[in-house]
Amino acid sequence: MPLTLVLEQLLNGVQFGVMLFLMAAGLTLVFGIMNLVNLAHGSLYMMGAYLTVAAVQWSGNYLAGVALGLFATLLLGMLVEVVALRTLYDRDHLDQVLATFGLILFFNELVAILWGRTALDLARPDWLQGHIELFAGSRYPLYRAVVIGVGLAVAAALWYVVTRTRLGMLVRAGASNRSMIAALGVNIRLLYTFVFGIGAALAGLAGVMAGPIYAVQPGMGELILIQVFVVIVIGGIGSIRGAFAGALIVGVVDTLGRAFLKPLLGTVLSPAAADAAGPALASMLIYLLMAAVLALRPEGLFPSRGGQ
Amino acid sequence: MLTLLPPVAAALQEPFYLDLVRKVMIFAIAAASLNLILGYGGMVSFGHAAYLGIGGYAVGVLAFYGTTSGWVQWGVAIGASALVALAIGAVSIRTSGIYFIMITLAFTQMLYYLGISIEEYGGDDGMRIKARSDFSGLIDLGDPVAFYYLALVLMLACLFLVHRIANSRFGMVLRAAKSNEPRSRGIGFSPYAYRLVAFVIAGAMCGLAGAMFANHTSFITPEFMHWTRSGEIMFMVILGGIATTAGPLLGALVLLVVETLLAGWTEHWQAILGPLLVLSVLFFRRGLAGLMPGGKDG
Amino acid sequence: MAETLLVVRGLAKSFGALRATDGIDFEVREGETHAVIGPNGAGKTTFIKQLSGELRPDAGQVRFAGEDITALPAHRRSRKGLARSFQITSIYRDFSALDNVALAVQARAGHSFRFWRPAREDILLTQPARQALEKVGLGARADVLAANLAHGEQRQLEIALALATQPRLMLLDEPVAGMGSDESQRMIELLASLKGEKTVVLVEHDMDAVFSLADRISVLVYGRIIATGTPAEIRANAEVRAAYLGEDL
Repeated sequence: MPLTLVLEQLLNGVQFGVMLFLMAAGLTLVFGIMNLVNLAHGSLYMMGAYLTVAAVQWSGNYLAGVALGLFATLLLGMLVEVVALRTLYDRDHLDQVLATFGLILFFNELVAILWGRTALDLARPDWLQGHIELFAGSRYPLYRAVVIGVGLAVAAALWYVVTRTRLGMLVRAGASNRSMIAALGVNIRLLYTFVFGIGAALAGLAGVMAGPIYAVQPGMGELILIQVFVVIVIGGIGSIRGAFAGALIVGVVDTLGRAFLKPLLGTVLSPAAADAAGPALASMLIYLLMAAVLALRPEGLFPSRGGQ
Repeated sequence: MLTLLPPVAAALQEPFYLDLVRKVMIFAIAAASLNLILGYGGMVSFGHAAYLGIGGYAVGVLAFYGTTSGWVQWGVAIGASALVALAIGAVSIRTSGIYFIMITLAFTQMLYYLGISIEEYGGDDGMRIKARSDFSGLIDLGDPVAFYYLALVLMLACLFLVHRIANSRFGMVLRAAKSNEPRSRGIGFSPYAYRLVAFVIAGAMCGLAGAMFANHTSFITPEFMHWTRSGEIMFMVILGGIATTAGPLLGALVLLVVETLLAGWTEHWQAILGPLLVLSVLFFRRGLAGLMPGGKDG
Repeated sequence: MAETLLVVRGLAKSFGALRATDGIDFEVREGETHAVIGPNGAGKTTFIKQLSGELRPDAGQVRFAGEDITALPAHRRSRKGLARSFQITSIYRDFSALDNVALAVQARAGHSFRFWRPAREDILLTQPARQALEKVGLGARADVLAANLAHGEQRQLEIALALATQPRLMLLDEPVAGMGSDESQRMIELLASLKGEKTVVLVEHDMDAVFSLADRISVLVYGRIIATGTPAEIRANAEVRAAYLGEDL
């Protein structure tokens, strides 16, 4: 196997990983702080992509469109929180699962009504086309490199906000002790709405960046959502650090598995058997990884004291 | 009332209703099996469609290799579902709460992708089943009326079985662990083994539903295991009334009829069903069985 | 002297820098009611959780009826005859009083992998359960949902649950806590009626209850037992009086 190919796939894995992280960050905070199972997080990822497509077309400018689309997703997230999810905080997980399942059906169909069922193309602008040279003879798509860069920058910013600012202190305290927060005179409902909106915008950002790589279509959110669940289970609920580690692990393992499992199996099995078993095993890999992690550490790699 | 439907439908020349109610009864079995672990056991499994798929694929794959005996097919469907439930349950019952929900969902998604990636059995296009399960000439599943009555008998048997289990010593331990786990440990029960056995029983029963559903559609596809299917089965349990005997049937009936009506009215029926679902969770928590006289049992 | 049923040696548990229990030695004789008292934060809850098996000690040994049970989890200890009531009422709130106790009977009646016969019609369960309810004075309340019982009745139900497992030793964690004077009087009478029949470890703040019920008292301060003796000896102990500084024993 040529080294450049391995390196390229490794970078693809990291690129997928940072996207998973953007999704997982918001979701794990909502799990950890509000104790809410939000299946509709994938819908926000999808809505982010669609709203941005619409905003880019309307404004004619890529960056302005992205900013507008993400702002709209943030508002949408806050709206969903206020209208539907706020009343679910005190309910059991079962109610939360069902209600947010209903939201998914609604959003998927809403998108189909507004934009149709066929996949849309979110074209990347000219200045994001092309490749960068990693070292002599090895080129990597500029767009994917930018995705990695943006993802890592957001991760660093998030880490700073959560661990170093007053807002982050409130968020972390809210995870362990709601009444304490209330006693500090903080409007906890507003805090929740705001956190939820940020989570929505991050999911939207992941959706926007996914646009040119994968397809923008109804139901796109659920595929990634379940992979994000795997990330959170591996990383530990409520932990940003865990979400980051889990996302990179899942992204790299999944990508490398899909790229190299078949040829690797081909070295020990017959080509026909490798052809059959390779893709099947590759698609199961992250779930098997999850089962292994759970068997060894039921609370995930980085359990947070606030989550449960 | 359900026993009278076939002659009525035949008189009205509306075989469609027979078809719909048969599907309702098959899903009532699936929902009843979920009710055992979710309603009585408090295990919020969001992956119950897995066993529907395994039961279906058992029938389809065996038929693909020429084994059409229903005894074998349905036996394998139930046995394989039980084994997979044992494996999934052994890992996921160690956890609880949000973890349990996500893990059961993730494992089912794994099976879904497995179904998609196996090209031999049709991949994501699925596979037609050429002949229905053959029960030595005893019951002809090709005859809609015979199949209907078989589904009716099996559904009633499953509802009754879940009712008996829920009220047996085993069921009381299961319900107690849901009600207050530390107390159960305090008087000497370790809930894990009881939960796992219930999980396996539920998987096996849903595997039976899967075998029936494959015969109902004469077709298998990974869509059997799609996570929205798990959500639907779960909603049937809640809508009908959690931890009630007849709830799964009521829930399956109402949900599938509403779906059929909405789908006949607009292509975008899910845009209406979704908010209905949210509203029913927010404002209608007792379930349909709670509305019926004597429908609420313990 | 009666046989020793429970022997604890050097039991220790720390949470970070806090030594909740710090080398406890403790013995309970068959048939006695042995009270454990101590000021708030003395480690009583940690101690009782280590006896019941909910917490694993860092060091030390717990022997019950001659057997080392230090490594056994709670449900296994319960099966060996060590029953526990909780400080905060722990019952099956959505079960009737009778169903609550019947489950405890069931726990003692072999395995529960019996799937067919309705448990509520099983006289082998309901008969002993009714007896236990009678014993604690809830005979007339058998069919009431546990959540709808008064607070005092719920505490009585909890005693019935413990009794129904036919324990050799009952660990009662503040059975009188949060009760009105009538209710607590009834509870004290109930516990008094168990004297001689059951061996009881009683963790309690209510000194009236402790001094009227206990055969012996151990005083726990800062994770250590500073004194063990009859109520009269404890009253006279200078170290104990110092620990309870000014409090009237």
